[in-house]
Order: sequence, then C-alpha cells, then structure tokens
Amino acid sequence: MGRDAGGAANKINLIPQDFFAELCEQIIHHLNHKIPGVNTAELCQRIQTSGIEINIGDLAKIANILSFLFSTAARNNLSTEELVTTLGSAVSTLPKHALQVIRHVWNEQGKSITAAEDARNVATVGQFVDMKWKLGVAMSSDTCRSLKYPYVTVTLTVADPSGQITDKSFEMTIPQFKNFFRQFKEMASVLETV
Amino acid sequence: MAAPEPPPPEGSRPLSALLGGIAQAAFHGNAAVTDELLRGQLYPEAPPEEFRALRAKMGGLLQSIASADMDLNQLEAFLTAQTKKQGGITSDQAAVIAKFWKNHRTSIHESLINQSRWDNVLKNMNWRVDLKSQLRHIDQINTPVAIVEMEVGKNGQC
Repeated sequence: MGRDAGGAANKINLIPQDFFAELCEQIIHHLNHKIPGVNTAELCQRIQTSGIEINIGDLAKIANILSFLFSTAARNNLSTEELVTTLGSAVSTLPKHALQVIRHVWNEQGKSITAAEDARNVATVGQFVDMKWKLGVAMSSDTCRSLKYPYVTVTLTVADPSGQITDKSFEMTIPQFKNFFRQFKEMASVLETV
Repeated sequence: MAAPEPPPPEGSRPLSALLGGIAQAAFHGNAAVTDELLRGQLYPEAPPEEFRALRAKMGGLLQSIASADMDLNQLEAFLTAQTKKQGGITSDQAAVIAKFWKNHRTSIHESLINQSRWDNVLKNMNWRVDLKSQLRHIDQINTPVAIVEMEVGKNGQC
C-alpha cells in the first residue's frame, strides 16, 4: 500500500464508523456478486448530508483500496490476524474504529467471498443496473422562440468493471429514440432465441 | 459576350439565392458565406449601401419567420402585412420569401434545434449477444447476455 493509500487513509479518519461499516459491507457484497457494485455516489451524498466534508473522488479511492485489500485476502485465504498483518505500517495510520470494522467484517463475512476471485478475471464490461427516462419538450430557446422540440432523456445506472456505480445521461431526438428502442427490441428477440 | 441585361435587383433568382446565403450563415453556421461574397455573386452591380439595406431587411424577416417557425397561414399573414408597411417588401419579394420558407423550413428548424442540444447525446450504439458457456458462478452458465456499447458525448464534438 503506497503513498496514495497514505493520503486516502487520512480521509478514512473523516468517515464515521457506521458509514465505514456500510462501505465495507457493500464492498464484500460486491466481491460476493450479491450486488453489481458499490454506490459510492449515493453513500457520499449521505455522508455529506450528515455534515462530513468528503468528496466522491476520495471515497472512490478508499473503496478501491478496501476492495483490493479484501479481494487479496480472499485469494490468499487469510485469517483476520493475517489480514491485519498485511496492513503493515498502515495499521498505525488507520483510526481505531476503522480497524475494528475491518476485523469485524472480515470475521463475519470473509469466508463467504468465493475463493480466488482473481483480479484478472474481473469482467471487462460493466453491468447494467437501472434505467430511467423522461420525455420533454423544449418550448423556446435563445435562438428560436417557437422551438417545440420533443426529446427523450435517458439515465443509465451502470456498475463499471471495478464495481463503482455511476449514472450516465444522454438526450435523444424522437427518431433517435425510436432507433434506440428498435435496437433493444432486436436484442430482446435474439436473447430469447439463443 | 452578349450585351449584359441590367440585372433586376429584385429578380427572384438573386433574392432566392440571397435568402439561401443568409440561412447558411445565420442558421447553419457557415462562416464562409460573408456579405461580401453574397454581394459579389448575386448583386455585383448594386451599390454597397443598397445591398446592405436589402440584406438587413431580408435577414430580419427570415429571423422572424424562423424564430416563430411560421406555418403557411402565419407566413401569409406576416408577409402580407410586410407588403403594406412603409419601407416593406414588394409582393414579388413576398412570393420569393414564401417559396423559400416552404422549401427550407424543416432544415432550418432542425438546425435551430441542434443549436439548443447541449447535453450528452447518443452518438453511436453497437451490441452483441454472448452465450456464456463456462463461468465460475454456476448460476450464470448458459445464460445469454447482451453487451451494448454506447458512444455518448457532447453534440458536435468527437
């Protein structure tokens, strides 16, 4: 765990114990394939709402480090004490409550991570989580008073290969949306016949 | 070379082409269509002041028509009013403008719509269906999976 871990470890200080426990749980569930990924954006928002100033980049870094820690420990079938030893000098920089949570989470759920989730075999494609849409009409703009332009905005929630969940939004004209819809219809029919 | 006919300054072809040039510059973002180019190509005999006035008047009318996305009824009413105004247009000019708008309304409106699409757009989409035959996690064996690649980006950018 290099220099970067040191910086992130400082930020771990900021995260209250219950949020830290929740983060570790989500990471374990992701490594277990129980959930497609860790919703860092949502967790970050809740942490910020409680008055803690942490940004999503730092939270994502911490999540990645913990994920690496747990998956390495799983691959090597480490006991809780062995896991703590792996932390090495970082142990002294981690807040006591964080170490406590890591021990507890590993004790309870470490074994459940199916053996040898080799980092090399992690999917190179993301996983679809959710889709939201809305139909809007732009009535007017600075260049055209009578625009009357209907469009569809879609937000895709995707878990990227590393497990981070992000939202991606984009806008389509009605003809573009019809094409979009048609593509998915084709996919659906192929999925059924395969 | 035949004796040149005096080009009718308000002849339909130059005016129609002028409207096309104005539309290119104002709506389709074509910076190459300058006033100098238009004057030289379409009204070479016209004094600059006169051309400027014509260009400004036509530009203003086209702007109003495009901004309101006028249908044929609105257009007729609008142009008729313009012919009755002091310093307005002739009924010949009105006819040329009407014909131009009928032919170009859709493409001009589309350009205006494009100018107001600032968020991410879907540029491209590809997909394939895989059949996973062997996986670490038993419950996913022999499940067909659709993999979709979407290219999302700002309108007009690569």
